[in-house]
Amino acid sequence: MVKKYTSMAYASADELIFGQAKFPVKAGLGLEIGGGYTSPEVNYAPRPGAGASKEKLIKEYERITTDIMARMVQIGAPSVVLETEHVQQMSNNPDWGGAVAHAQKTIMEEYHDEYGIKCALRHTIGDIREDRNFLQLRGDKYNTFIEAFEEVANNGADLLSVESMGGKEVFDYSILRNDTAGMLFGIGVLGSMDMEMIWSDIADIAKKTGTVAAGDTDCAQANTAMFIAGGLLDKNLAHTTAIVARAISAARSLCAYEAGAVGPGKDCGYENVIIKGITGMPMTTEGKTSTCAHSDLMGNLIMECCDLWSNESVEYHGEFGGTTVQCWSETLAYDCSMMNVALKTGKAKDLRDILVLSDKFRDPQGYVLAYDNAYKVGQAIVKDGENNYLRAKNAAIECCNIVEEGAKSGKLRLTRFETNALAKVKADLEALTDDADKFVSDNLTKFKQEVAVFKPENYGL
Amino acid sequence: MLDLKLEDIDGILVRYNVALEKEMTPDEAAEELYPKDDLIYPVAKAIYEGEEDDVVDALQAAIDAGKKPIALIDDALMVGMGVVTQLYDDGIIFLPNVMMSADAMLAGIEFCKTQTTEIPVQKGKVVCHVAEGDVHDIGKNIVTALLRANGYEVIDLGRDVPVNEVITAVEKEKPMLLTGTALMTTTMYAFKEVNDKLLEKGIKIPFACGGGAVNQDFVSQYELGVYGEEAADASKIADAIVAGTTDITALREKFHKH
Ligand code: B12
Repeated sequence: MVKKYTSMAYASADELIFGQAKFPVKAGLGLEIGGGYTSPEVNYAPRPGAGASKEKLIKEYERITTDIMARMVQIGAPSVVLETEHVQQMSNNPDWGGAVAHAQKTIMEEYHDEYGIKCALRHTIGDIREDRNFLQLRGDKYNTFIEAFEEVANNGADLLSVESMGGKEVFDYSILRNDTAGMLFGIGVLGSMDMEMIWSDIADIAKKTGTVAAGDTDCAQANTAMFIAGGLLDKNLAHTTAIVARAISAARSLCAYEAGAVGPGKDCGYENVIIKGITGMPMTTEGKTSTCAHSDLMGNLIMECCDLWSNESVEYHGEFGGTTVQCWSETLAYDCSMMNVALKTGKAKDLRDILVLSDKFRDPQGYVLAYDNAYKVGQAIVKDGENNYLRAKNAAIECCNIVEEGAKSGKLRLTRFETNALAKVKADLEALTDDADKFVSDNLTKFKQEVAVFKPENYGL
Repeated sequence: MLDLKLEDIDGILVRYNVALEKEMTPDEAAEELYPKDDLIYPVAKAIYEGEEDDVVDALQAAIDAGKKPIALIDDALMVGMGVVTQLYDDGIIFLPNVMMSADAMLAGIEFCKTQTTEIPVQKGKVVCHVAEGDVHDIGKNIVTALLRANGYEVIDLGRDVPVNEVITAVEKEKPMLLTGTALMTTTMYAFKEVNDKLLEKGIKIPFACGGGAVNQDFVSQYELGVYGEEAADASKIADAIVAGTTDITALREKFHKH
């Protein structure tokens, strides 16, 4: 049985701060994540064509690793984390992933031995559990998926992660149709069920191999909502609806930490702010430094309580200032240096608040993820922490309340459209049953009919 | 916690969406656009509201009053969907409304088909796919919904579609337009292969390409490519072709914005 969170790790929101986690994580070569300082976490993608063969791919990652380590030493950065997000070949052929991890770690060890730079390697396995038309969350693909974790863990990866996809077939359908119950069912129920399964297995692997089960993000759903919502002028999804999906995702991503993950949560989980409040575990976030990958309307705010600071992903190629990984790792390192100075000079809370205020009123999404509000969403989750459905629903309702209050204060200005969308989501949520079993059986019936690609057996249902 | 005074916020960020929001509510704007005919109006309104059952009821009422099922597709369903598309283009309503209206309209078309033996004529046929190796299909799903909503017959090949399967489908279906979606820099190169294989077979149809990773410069590199930034561009490209612009260069002039 997994232990569910029923209380917050921090007594107040104000304790949430960058570089410090209640439960720091030691990993890799001398690194302590959340132990009083922040570190850059650099993420990259090989050039198109580099995946043509195993040898080519290993070479590409060797270049990337050397470039980053060299630049970090050149500018005097004390620590760095590298994140390799698997291209599908590496997870589908676990020995490729293992070989890449080994090659990278070898280089990192050389730098660590020579310069003492603290570093760790994260490998993020691709969620390969799908056929062309269907998710295939259990079965053959699951075995390969788990093997991919074992291979990288045995070959040098320090931190294990994934962006898992449970619930996405229902969510994809629902988000394009303003179907609130579907969002809740996809993320909060199906997503949570799948998370509990995979993360107890990943945590076992971490235990066996002496590595760290680091965490998952709801990229497949909450980030999809955020990207469909887009910028201020986009008309594809109300930003008030997108942030409700995000709030629900915190209840879902929390399942990893309940099943044995210990952080650092992965960069693109904007829900990590909420999760840090609940678990006290270190988290990675990304914002203004991930503009190379996407735009997010909260580039400064989301730095508020990061322990690692990431660039999400950048294709490896040349720029005027070096290769992309060098440019972006350098930018990250200077941001970390600024945060670390703030920590040493007793100004961390001021810097945090400045970062937050620069984006808090830019968009309802940032408003809810500002640490004071994020903490309230966390409280709503742990209030019914034992019940995956109820806590996800609580998070969604609390999110609506927070946005409403922000609008009432006059500071968070909403369009009429956003206001109406919010009212609709809230009314939908309030009309839902509190009985999890009934909710599941109703929605199972509904989505079996409406979504052709939804297969309940993926969830053991 | 530090805080900002209300009057200070404007100097830090501008909520342009709030500043520019249209005065009229979506319902009011729709009301102005509905056709006035007593039998057609309820169909159009039910489409706007995305209510499948109401669409069918309104169609039944129109048929009972003597309207021809096939004619209703163009005169009522498409007109209602036209209202929805215009409101979306004008920035008055958002995508989920369009998706729900499109679902309602398709249900309406199916219903009309059950009421007659005639076969409806569509504006044209479009084959849609997501590039080989790529499973990101949300953008493609929006593209197909909007195309259907605009009266096109869509052959949806799905995601991660092997190049040869695209070619076979084009040979078989003879569409007026092919669309491709790719979200990864590693998968978008399949478009070039599709282009080359089509040309090898002497097929010269516009190949509209879009999706996160794709950009105008890339699409301009192969002969049949026309880049579209937004899902709505796909049906606009199709409309332009129907209106007589079949030349790729001319289409590029119209749709390449950068
Ligand atoms: C959601 C998502 C997923 C979901 C996909 C769910 C689904 N059913 O589609 C899941 C979780 C499955 C996923 C998986 C992966 N993903 Co992903 N994903 C995303 C994400 C977050 C959002 C994409 C999205 O849906 N956007 C919203 C839709 C509506 O936008 P869109 O498709 O571009 O469509 C719009 C327009 O482009 C246009 N349009 C689209 N098609 C067409 C066609 C025509 C003709 C026209 C005119 C217009 C048009 O219309 C739409 C609306 O206007 C992006 C992040 C990003 N920055 O884009 C990453 C991203 C695309 N993913 C990425 C990666 C790396 C992966 C994985 C490899 C991760 C992994 N290690 O497993 C796998 C890929 C598996 C595979 N083989 O494809 C990278 C790609 C990097 C690269 N190489 O280029 C991105 C960019 C993230 C990043 N920054 O690293 N992902």
